[in-house]
Amino acid sequence: MPLLELRDVTSFYGSVQALKGISLRVEPGEIVTLLGANGAGKSTTLRSISGLMRPASGDILFDGQSISRLGAEAIVRMGISHVPEGRRIFPGLTVTENIMLGASSRGRVPKAQLRSEVGEMFAIFPDLERLEKALGWSLSGGQQQMLAVARGLMARPKLLMLDEPSLGLAPIIVQQLFAVIRDLQQRGMTILLVEQNAHMALSVAHRGYVLETGNLTVEGSPAELLGNEAVRAAYLGGARPNAAN
Amino acid sequence: MSNLSLNLQLLFSGLAVGAVYSLVALGFVLIIRATNVVNFAQGDFAMIGAFAMVTMLTALKLPYWLAFVLALALMTVFGVIFNYAVYYPLRNRSFLPVIISTLGASIFMQNAVLGIFGPQPRPLEKVFKTPGFEVAGVFLDSQYLVILAVTLIAVAFQYFFFEHTLLGKKLQATSQDKDMARLVGIPVAWMIALTFVYSATLGGLAGILIGPVLFVSIGMGSTIALKAFSATVIGGFGDVTGAIVGGLLLGVVESFGAAYISVPYKDAFAFLLLLVFLLIRPQGIFGEKISEKA
Amino acid sequence: MTIQTLAAGASASTAARGFRAGALVLLLLLLAAALPLIPFVVKVNPYILNIFMQAVTYAVAVLGMTIVLGYTGQIHLGQAAFFGIGAYTVALGTLVLGLNFWLALLLGVVLASLAGFILGLTTLRVGGHYLAMVTISFQVIFDLILTNWIAVTRGPDGISGIGRPSLFGYTLADDKAYLMFCVFVLYLVIFGVWWLPKTRLGRAMQAVRENEMAAEVSGVATLVVKVVAFSLCAALGAVGGALYAAGFAYISPDNFSFKISIEFLTMTLLGGSQSPFGGALGTVLLILLPEWLRFLKEIYMAAYGLAVILIMVFMPEGIWGIVSRAWRRLRPLRPLAHGPVEPFKLDFPLTDTAPVLQLVNVQKHFGGVRAVDGININVARGTVHALIGPNGSGKTTTLNVLNGIYRPTAGQIIVDGKDLTHTSPHVRAGHGVGRTFQNIRLFPALSALENVMIGAQRAHNPIERSESALRRRALSTLDFVGLLDRADRVVRSLPYGHQRLVEIARSLAGSPTLLLLDEPAAGLNQTEKQELVTLLKRLRGHGITIFLIEHDMGLIVQVSDRISVLNFGRKIAEGTPDEVLRHPDVIAAYLGESVHAAA
Repeated sequence: MPLLELRDVTSFYGSVQALKGISLRVEPGEIVTLLGANGAGKSTTLRSISGLMRPASGDILFDGQSISRLGAEAIVRMGISHVPEGRRIFPGLTVTENIMLGASSRGRVPKAQLRSEVGEMFAIFPDLERLEKALGWSLSGGQQQMLAVARGLMARPKLLMLDEPSLGLAPIIVQQLFAVIRDLQQRGMTILLVEQNAHMALSVAHRGYVLETGNLTVEGSPAELLGNEAVRAAYLGGARPNAAN
Repeated sequence: MSNLSLNLQLLFSGLAVGAVYSLVALGFVLIIRATNVVNFAQGDFAMIGAFAMVTMLTALKLPYWLAFVLALALMTVFGVIFNYAVYYPLRNRSFLPVIISTLGASIFMQNAVLGIFGPQPRPLEKVFKTPGFEVAGVFLDSQYLVILAVTLIAVAFQYFFFEHTLLGKKLQATSQDKDMARLVGIPVAWMIALTFVYSATLGGLAGILIGPVLFVSIGMGSTIALKAFSATVIGGFGDVTGAIVGGLLLGVVESFGAAYISVPYKDAFAFLLLLVFLLIRPQGIFGEKISEKA
Repeated sequence: MTIQTLAAGASASTAARGFRAGALVLLLLLLAAALPLIPFVVKVNPYILNIFMQAVTYAVAVLGMTIVLGYTGQIHLGQAAFFGIGAYTVALGTLVLGLNFWLALLLGVVLASLAGFILGLTTLRVGGHYLAMVTISFQVIFDLILTNWIAVTRGPDGISGIGRPSLFGYTLADDKAYLMFCVFVLYLVIFGVWWLPKTRLGRAMQAVRENEMAAEVSGVATLVVKVVAFSLCAALGAVGGALYAAGFAYISPDNFSFKISIEFLTMTLLGGSQSPFGGALGTVLLILLPEWLRFLKEIYMAAYGLAVILIMVFMPEGIWGIVSRAWRRLRPLRPLAHGPVEPFKLDFPLTDTAPVLQLVNVQKHFGGVRAVDGININVARGTVHALIGPNGSGKTTTLNVLNGIYRPTAGQIIVDGKDLTHTSPHVRAGHGVGRTFQNIRLFPALSALENVMIGAQRAHNPIERSESALRRRALSTLDFVGLLDRADRVVRSLPYGHQRLVEIARSLAGSPTLLLLDEPAAGLNQTEKQELVTLLKRLRGHGITIFLIEHDMGLIVQVSDRISVLNFGRKIAEGTPDEVLRHPDVIAAYLGESVHAAA
């Protein structure tokens, strides 16, 4: 049974239809990536899953249960952690505090246990350890991204959703980030990854979907998608690139 | 009285009155940070707290400390009601309906109290029977000393609560990014309700402290609120330290202004200072110019 | 349906409807004129006369609020101060300076307008809550002066013995006669305030209320509009106060306190802030109701406060708003025939070879972030030039700098040879720069026609300045984009694709030499996108220069002559669509780098 399933989900921003009937699934232990140009509806899809937006029609099932009518706080408690676009770490709180707040959905966690879990996060993201008392706003883009993922992991989710984690980051940081993503999956995490950077995303994903103005146009394995004209068309309107690389 | 003693006296009373402004301003700032709402009824929490104390002391003849605790408890209930009746129905609307709604709440509160207690200002007991004592030619009024002490304790408590408890961190997170707070599982609606409760209690505390000095009247809240708002702007809109510093500064300016410039126009200083800051340095003393994001 | 058949078919029933409507209006006018004559015929208790006198003078002040709050959307909590300026100027002017009433009234209006002017200027720096505080501060300071400057104002004792004015040699000592005079003044004011939204200024005010940034960008000098709104509001407040003072013969600071400002605000909101009839209705209700409910005196003020909250929650558009909506549902507006429409005129000679737009080393930094890091672009006249790049590359920032919403950290913006780097958006609109927004910024409560007319009224638009010329220009622009039959529909009720077209029409009506389009295809379906492409090609044929940001490459390829590509705030490629979309740097920027083995 898929861990996450969307059935014919439609969604609106005011009078604009952002999603026009999306159906997709994420199996346990997979990395699935959602690709598409800006404005295609990728973030809307994640926001509809995590409860920040309510779908107009269709259904969203998590572990077999329908979650499309639940609020965001309830959905986190069920095991979906959404790391939104733009990092959005709490700017006035320290790195340690940001990470600790990630566990807010788990009810009362003893202080000592929280601290040891923070230590676990530092093991995964070693760069953050020396920044433990630094305030959120003072971190670089890459550090903030790592922090956002660490915070998202503290909810001990079954499904981790990452929205454009590579946005605005230098290539070398992106590589580090994706190494972490691959590592998390190997430890058993299921990940739904939204990315504009198709190459990076397809280098870690098991399967991918392509969104074009609210419609899912292509689905397949990374190899299938990379060779597929439709993917290039979704981004570059059908122009054929030089036969480089 | 020597010039130095006079000035120290003015400084002392200015700081004490300013401390009351700071308490109300703190309540303002917390609500603004959590909900982006400017609560024009903030001062009336002070008024209600003061009237509650008057009732408990004179009508119910309770001992001071019991009355104090009960009055504060009443304010927490009030905060809950205010949150659900005034803020919650309008939480998704633009700022104009919300401002007007808090104004309406202010009118309602003042006139409900008027209906119950009548227009006569009431006296309120000081905390200690002793009038005070003199140090180096300066008379330290006991109530002023209490105000300064309690404000210090409140600020210390607030600092401890926000900086060293998880709940305080959750409140901070809610005011920094509401949607993100929801996404990590923080119950945002509860956090906001808590913020209103805390602000209402702070306001009530301010009223109970300043009541013996000013006389408890229906309009006392409005004046204090406007001055507290000025303090917030002067200190740096949305900044907690700014609210405290702004309040103290305002109290001192008023005190010296009344003595050296004019007594009847004492109230005008708050607004003149506000206008000056708004037009010349709108981010206040501690505020930072927030650069617009692309 | 052609325009001719629309016109012909509608004209017959229009004539009939017009006649009935005209008869109804005439009847109402006669009733209105007869109203103040009633006390001359029927014996009315003098106390009742006083009530109505208060209602009428208050209503004049409330109509000032209609202008500033209802039309222009600015919060104002100090109207009682302007009311007081009028009252005290008349009182002191007649009793102390010996001026006649009319001169004192004029003086009061001038003083109040000056104060309103200054208050309006503060909106340059503050808005929203801060503005509310500024108006309150103003009110409180005025109050303090009234109470404490005893030498001049007589302080809390007030001023008594204020005389009535004389009209054509006849002193209006009789209460009934004075009330009739006040009522006619009120009618005049109601007429003026009712007519205001149909003027350039009135439309500009509503634009500011609906969406201040869109108004600024469409050519409305928003600061000027706000200052004028506050000045007019103050003037009306003063007139009301003057009439009040002469009416009641006695005034004191109590009559002009913050509490009264709140009453004015509540009357405006209850009746309906956007209509002068609503304002008058709200005033009458809130003055008469407490009289009828006097047995509830203890709690009526408390109920007052409660009512304000309830109004905001449940009926923000006031009683008049509810009544108009119900009326609209019973008798829905049928589209008015606008008669034959001129073809859309917008032609630029292509003889001038200088570039229409030059971005010279433009930089925009936000703190440490270099959103735009030295961009040089020349846009040739009569071409479509696209700006593309991945998310976060600086495209929208560039457009905002072009438009004047941001000032650049360095560099220059030159439009048609003029350096516009340090001008505000409405000035740029006046030089022919038009703009649409990615998330459509229309004036939602106004009709399509009104939206487009606001674009047409930009400074230096090469058309006649008359109201009818503006209307004709707007209609022909709407016709050009295919929405003539939607001209009278309120834009918020239009489907998304049509709203986009109205936004484009609004810019076109201003005869733009340079049209900036920010993701015009966002949210459109395939059909609508094709229609947009057709429209853009037609525009290019007219000689307009278009600079657009878009993500839909298919669309860009079809319309663009040249493309500039941004990444990390810098230009990484420029050329024809073919050249640019095959460029390896561009492909890498969009699709991402492949993973390389760690060195």
